[in-house]
Amino acid sequence: MSEPSARSATPGRLVAISVTLLVLLSPFLWLLQMSFKSNDQILQFPPPLIFTPTLENYISLWHSAFSASFVNSLLSASFSTAFALLLGVPAAYALSRWAGRGKHALSFAILVTRMAPPIAFTIPFFLFYRWIGLLDTITGLVLVYTSFNLPLVIWMMQPFFDTIPVSLEEAALVDGARTRTVFTKIVLPMVTPGIAATAILCFLYAWNDFFFALILTRTNARTAPVAVVNFMNYEGWEWGKIAAGGSLVMAPVLIFSLAVRRYLVSGLTAGAVKG
Amino acid sequence: MSQGGIEQERRSFIAFALTPSLIVLFAIAVLPAIYLVMTSLTPFQLTTPGSATDFSAPLRNYDLLPGDPRFVNSLLVQAKLSFWGVLFQVLIGMALALLLNVPSRFVEFARTFFLIPMVLPPIVVAVIWKLIYTPDISPLYYAAQALHVTMPALTSSVDFALTAIIIADTWEWLPFTFLMVLAALQTIPDEYSEAALVDGASTLQIFWYVTLPFIMPILVISGMFRLIDSVKAFPLIFLLTGGGPGTVTEVTNYYAYLLAFDTNEIGYSSAVTVVMLLLVCGISLGLVWMGRRRESMS
Repeated sequence: MSEPSARSATPGRLVAISVTLLVLLSPFLWLLQMSFKSNDQILQFPPPLIFTPTLENYISLWHSAFSASFVNSLLSASFSTAFALLLGVPAAYALSRWAGRGKHALSFAILVTRMAPPIAFTIPFFLFYRWIGLLDTITGLVLVYTSFNLPLVIWMMQPFFDTIPVSLEEAALVDGARTRTVFTKIVLPMVTPGIAATAILCFLYAWNDFFFALILTRTNARTAPVAVVNFMNYEGWEWGKIAAGGSLVMAPVLIFSLAVRRYLVSGLTAGAVKG
Repeated sequence: MSQGGIEQERRSFIAFALTPSLIVLFAIAVLPAIYLVMTSLTPFQLTTPGSATDFSAPLRNYDLLPGDPRFVNSLLVQAKLSFWGVLFQVLIGMALALLLNVPSRFVEFARTFFLIPMVLPPIVVAVIWKLIYTPDISPLYYAAQALHVTMPALTSSVDFALTAIIIADTWEWLPFTFLMVLAALQTIPDEYSEAALVDGASTLQIFWYVTLPFIMPILVISGMFRLIDSVKAFPLIFLLTGGGPGTVTEVTNYYAYLLAFDTNEIGYSSAVTVVMLLLVCGISLGLVWMGRRRESMS
């Protein structure tokens, strides 16, 4: 293969790429190394680059209220993902087969929910929850996250259904199978990779949320992102704990999102550009 | 089963599969919007009973907006934050994409790590920059101290607070424009630049006359995406500056948040939010239109 000189991996370019990557990630690495330092080491000047890592920050987090908020995050993200898939996957299938006008209305609905500033939904949700007593409950969070993940599921799943030939279903239908059976027994098993990728993205959106959790929860249902911030407000000098809390919150995200990086773009641009 | 029976059974399945989702979409997209507009027509405060249904002076909130210096200022702050943030994200993102657009197993592996800032939870990004901007523990201030330079406290300085937010926001969203531009670069046929090379074009000329026209649409689209999303920049401002010092970093979104959940002016906050929503809707519609036009062209 002959490559033009502008597009070849020269050693100089590889070095430039490595240096850029290191500079770009240095703020992130700084947080990571800080989470393994004791408070004395953090405040030491000049900062020791080589030190004996300690797990004391993580251990004290484990024994604090932070572990409860971590569980809250896990619960609300998992349940909302499950519900959004339960509602959205059949809808995506129906839209894929039925096609036509519905798609434009759908992409507009997705735009509204994705693009509108969260505050536009928070005020109505807050007042409604306050009225029916859903403030500071996991149920309330699950409801919000489910509704915001539903358009994403429909958007992400449609192309997967589009790739399955209709003739396959028609053959089974002629043999007397019901549409429901065809859907669950033939179509669904063929789109499991798509469902897995969509599920991970939904989980990440719910897990990453800060704004809704900040306003709709107080103490009982507080999620991990909000708990990290609370370390900052009330225990302002425990930088080690803050760094460890931040590292814990980002751990699942890093693992999952690297697994679905191929779908990241279409998930992020849902609604306007074809992924 | 007869042909008509299959058709009918199919139709009832489709209805069964779609209805729940349509109801939920209606409940989250349409109802809150109606509720928000209704509330924006009232002087609603949680502590004042009856104020939620007081429609005696429906346009009062909207009349107040142009004369509210904090609201006008918040629009200006938002415009500055969006303009510089989007500009840097598109330019640096493009530069990164050009740098990484080489066929190599190592580079392909490295690309994944360039995505990290974007996938981190936004609040963790805010924590990371809080550590960078806090003098006692920041590598930035250690370096300044070692060089005997005095650095101002960035996030509490009138001159640098907004810049500090723009830097953090650019860092967080660079990977997005990078990813979009890289995808576009990879669709350019190699023959184009090869032909230009044979004709004696310089690297800069190839970029200007071959590459740039090719990636222009994606630069505009990713810029618009970032523009819409930049309105949401909440965790960074919440954690780094709290809108301050004064109102230097108070964007409209943050002002609406303070109004509703700090000073309890829910009716007025709703009016601010409605105006913001209209602006975002306008940009979004432009984006849909551009996306369709691009689709019909290809």
